[in-house]
Amino acid sequence: MEAELRDKPSFTNLRLQLKPGDSVIAEADAMAYMSSTIRMNTKWNGGVIQSLLKRFLGGESMFVNQFSTDKGGELVITQPYPGDMTCLELKGNSMYLQPGAFVACEPGVKLGVGWAGLRMLIGGEGLFRLKVSGHGRVWFGAYGGIFEREISDEYIVDTGHLVAYEPSIGVKVGMAGGIFSSFFSGEGLVTRVKGPGRIYLQSRSFDGLAAWTNAHL
Amino acid sequence: MPALHQTADQQGVFVTQKFSGGVFHADLSDGRAGVEIELLHSHLCASTADGDAFVIPYEECQLEIGGYTGKMLFCRNADRSVTLFSEDKQFPKALALAAGGRLDDQLASQLSKAKGESRRGAIFSFGLVAATLIVLVSLYFGIRAGANRVTQSLPVSLDRELGKAAYQAMPKEGSEITDPLVTEPIQSIVDRLADHAKVEGMDFELHVIDSATVNAYCLPGGTMVVYTGLISAAESPGQLAAVISHEMAHATLRHGLSRISQTLGLTAAVSLLIGDTAGIMAAAEEFFTAASINSYSRQQETEADLEGVRMLHAAAIDPSGMPSLFELLKEEHGELPEALVWVSTHPDHASRIEETQNMIDSLPAKPYKPIDLDWEALKSRVAGDSTKKADVSNSSNESSADSTVDPSELEQENGS
Repeated sequence: MEAELRDKPSFTNLRLQLKPGDSVIAEADAMAYMSSTIRMNTKWNGGVIQSLLKRFLGGESMFVNQFSTDKGGELVITQPYPGDMTCLELKGNSMYLQPGAFVACEPGVKLGVGWAGLRMLIGGEGLFRLKVSGHGRVWFGAYGGIFEREISDEYIVDTGHLVAYEPSIGVKVGMAGGIFSSFFSGEGLVTRVKGPGRIYLQSRSFDGLAAWTNAHL
Repeated sequence: MPALHQTADQQGVFVTQKFSGGVFHADLSDGRAGVEIELLHSHLCASTADGDAFVIPYEECQLEIGGYTGKMLFCRNADRSVTLFSEDKQFPKALALAAGGRLDDQLASQLSKAKGESRRGAIFSFGLVAATLIVLVSLYFGIRAGANRVTQSLPVSLDRELGKAAYQAMPKEGSEITDPLVTEPIQSIVDRLADHAKVEGMDFELHVIDSATVNAYCLPGGTMVVYTGLISAAESPGQLAAVISHEMAHATLRHGLSRISQTLGLTAAVSLLIGDTAGIMAAAEEFFTAASINSYSRQQETEADLEGVRMLHAAAIDPSGMPSLFELLKEEHGELPEALVWVSTHPDHASRIEETQNMIDSLPAKPYKPIDLDWEALKSRVAGDSTKKADVSNSSNESSADSTVDPSELEQENGS
């Protein structure tokens, strides 16, 4: 299966060229267009309970669509908001994705929802997050651009900008500065991430968009 | 324990344990892979699904604890080019055992460091929640005081405009009565009280509405509305004057305006202070806004009761009508379930009786002048109006009983 991320970075979409026998799993409603030779199967996103958890707690859809083909064909997948997408190849390792970031994956990838902990709620990232593991490619998206950082020490990320991180990354929620600057700088709380491992960041945050929209209503 | 390990090894039956985990190494495509880690006699051996293998001798091992859960054990070689890690709960113990004591010190210091960090994390979270609560609580009280002060400094003409606009927009529950036999006695009560209003510039404009609803309210600026139902339900002119003084007090104390500014102020101040309002902050803000609106009007009700008593006393009207009104409410309704809505925003009858009675007792004795109106005539006139008698001149023959009023409607006296 050949994959190409097109129209980067603002309106990135994923064009997949499926060979006979290939299949791919995508977030519900992510398909933009495809060849008539491709079949679509809707299935629970994991088991029924898992699906419900993913839908209500992980910010993902209750159903995922599996696209497969006997003859080969083209499939184009998008994410609902403007922004970049990136590809990650799993080789037995795993990665945590923030709610809503997942776009598509190859069949060898396992999708699981996990409790992220209170610190992530305080950090504005949501109580639950998706864990992708296994073997194969995973495509996920962000609002705005995506940066990738390989970190060995500590790194500071504003809340709402962290899109994905490896399980080997330690995450602490802390204040941006002292008490005064934390409250009045507009930075409020930040997340301190600690390596080793890789993190993916988005250049815009939904909280920022919401606040900006609110100010102009 | 090391003895056991050596014995097993000497016998050649050393059982290797496997742990799933991962590796970071520059030669791997993408620099990482999932691995199975085996604990062998002298080293850790990690193998990927693609057949790559990585080895770290125990004496080279540099241990560190971290990761998202704070329970992941990292193991690096001497030049730190290879990092193996596993989150398996058994891994640290098995590693210590396999290394035969060589890693015990490192592991112990890392474990205590991790413990310290998780304790610091818990203290920080607790401190953050506590600080947020303190900020919100002090904001809440600060804004209550601040909003009151701001409101008092605004011109009274603003209240008048607000009240007039509100009156125009409000649905009336009945037609307005212009019959001077009804409006004049009430106007006389309003006039007597108006002379002793706390704020100058109020323009008390009376509207009597023909409706069985037992209610009266005074809008900001002094637009005063009395329903005929209230006149029928009241047992004495003193009680009627008490309700009127209470409602007028809401206007003179400018409660409507300060409630608006408090509600707006709290939201604005919280978002101003806490720039990016994350989930918890928003929820707390909402909670405090709701709480302020409720407990706030309860406090305003008490203030209006006491200010009403003061006005009655100043106008030489016997203020005992106020506690007797609450006695009436208490007798009629006790603790009826439908009273709940009202009770949530109004103090309970017993404490209103107590507080107003205490205030009356503390006021200097004064000769009270009776209210100059023909109570029976007013009530029968109103009864005639509210039962829609065509011939009002016969109304004096009608019973003055408040038969058209469902006593439970007394509960609807609202504090606007």
